[in-house]
Amino acid sequence: MGRARLRVAVRVLPALLLTALALAGPWLAPHAIDAPVAAPYAEPGGGAPLGGDQLGRDVLSRLLAGGRELVVTSLLVAVLVTALAAVLGAVSALRPAVGRIVERTCDMLMLLPAVLGILLVTLSWPDGGRLAVVTASVVLGVPYAVRLVAGAAAPVAASGYVEAASVGGERLWYLVAREVLPNLRATLLALFGLRFVAAVYLVATAGFLQVGPQPPAADWALMIRENSGGILLNPWAVLAPSVAVGLLAMSVNLAAAALVPATGRKAVPTL
Amino acid sequence: MAGTLTPTARHEPAADSRTPGRTALYAAGVLARRLLLLAGLLAAVFAAVELLPGDAADATSERGESAADLAQRRQLLGLDRPVAERFWDWMTGLPTGDLGTSARGEQVADLLARPFPNTLLLGGLALLLTLVASIALGCWAAARPGGPLDRAVSASATGILALPEFVVAVALVLVFALWTGWLPAVTLTDSDGSPASWRMLVLPVLALAVPQIGWNTRIVRAALADEARAPHIDTAVLDGLPRHRILVHHLLPGALPTIAAGVATSTGMLLGGAVVVETIFNYPGVGSVLAGAVTDRDSPVIAGVVAVTGAVITAVLLLADLVRTWASGGRT
Repeated sequence: MGRARLRVAVRVLPALLLTALALAGPWLAPHAIDAPVAAPYAEPGGGAPLGGDQLGRDVLSRLLAGGRELVVTSLLVAVLVTALAAVLGAVSALRPAVGRIVERTCDMLMLLPAVLGILLVTLSWPDGGRLAVVTASVVLGVPYAVRLVAGAAAPVAASGYVEAASVGGERLWYLVAREVLPNLRATLLALFGLRFVAAVYLVATAGFLQVGPQPPAADWALMIRENSGGILLNPWAVLAPSVAVGLLAMSVNLAAAALVPATGRKAVPTL
Repeated sequence: MAGTLTPTARHEPAADSRTPGRTALYAAGVLARRLLLLAGLLAAVFAAVELLPGDAADATSERGESAADLAQRRQLLGLDRPVAERFWDWMTGLPTGDLGTSARGEQVADLLARPFPNTLLLGGLALLLTLVASIALGCWAAARPGGPLDRAVSASATGILALPEFVVAVALVLVFALWTGWLPAVTLTDSDGSPASWRMLVLPVLALAVPQIGWNTRIVRAALADEARAPHIDTAVLDGLPRHRILVHHLLPGALPTIAAGVATSTGMLLGGAVVVETIFNYPGVGSVLAGAVTDRDSPVIAGVVAVTGAVITAVLLLADLVRTWASGGRT
């Protein structure tokens, strides 16, 4: 048991460290994110270890500052999706009629690629800003998450003590909150990790497609888009944020995979 | 992202159909259900565009434009008519290929007529590459279960499946276009609007397919592992059949329905990712139309793209359903 826990901890640690670094980054930045310190696309050197971006702003400072919003937004999406899916999944396991509606809705939303869904919402709601991105990510993420929770909740809902409580006249919310969900802690923790991975993907892609954070905000995905024109002059302006997004996505995904309970189809991630 | 191995169990009873009549009936039922889901999605898309604040006339308004001009364009775009009427027009227009009017007054169907085949080509090639590579990698890993190779393949598949396409694309451009100069980083088009050379397709297809290969390799590996627990595999091993023969003749056919379902769910990710990849490589597909629509805040165009994409995904899911029916029908 001790060794197994250690192995999980080792695989979760990089994600925690990177997330903490992204959150603390803005305080570590040596320069202001919106003031030019070098020539546009200046090569690394002097006061700018990673060179300058398309307006000559310090790439390192913008890199340090650009992760917080991505991480905070993704965490928010992951928390909301997990909470909503936990309640909906538990209810649909307890009430098959609700379960059928949830399942049909999930099947339907599967026909909508997440990237197109986020574009649809953010464009139809031009003033929505970050709220629109969060709303779209939650709406698109809940169906998959509900499936996972409902699947895990079904055996719990069919177990003797839940049936006894149900026959004993307990209300639905009591069954959900006190009988079913506490037994799904491991599933919900893994689900949270997987939804965080999916949210990083979606929020970063929204930033890249310029429907998320707007210039002059420092944002990793936006930096990649803005600086791609100068990739030959200062590759670091594009490479550094790409590596940051890539490392965040990979480390969080490996952490989520380590958290998935060993029972069931572990080899198949349920993103 | 997809997480859809659960439906397998649900379809199992219906697959027990040995008579052709029942198979046809089952296929018709699946078709009807899929089409109903598509219609539901399109209704939801229309409602989303309608209910969210802001409309196409607002979005394309220019600074200093008078309220009268705005009202006139709203009338021109038909936005002053009742919602129910416009909804009915939009939905009944879809089967005839009428996808509505963009905020600039063009037919969405005309806007998509040239780029969409290019996107289908890009997505189709990526899907094909995903299918071949993930089956090969999955089988390679499954041939030595638990060994270092198996673990290496599984770990790298897990690592890359979460990467956004634009990160993969940046890495590919740096390595293959800028540092080695082997492949072009941008797509040039012929006079007919299609990519000028096959070499321009290589990097976009790779950028799209790499995350999906990671995803599907895990599905193939898991499906093979499940299948390996079946009793007839034990028999084949005890009979001393060679390992590759067991893999190809005994394991793969049983795992095929799961693999088909997994690859089918990749279609949505591929078509979504195409938007991003096309932007990076300047590929003449739907992505470039959408990029323009993002600048113009043109939601009717997005709704049209979603409608067409939904239809394509429905078709691919149907194909996966048929593979499942065929594969399990042949065994029982």
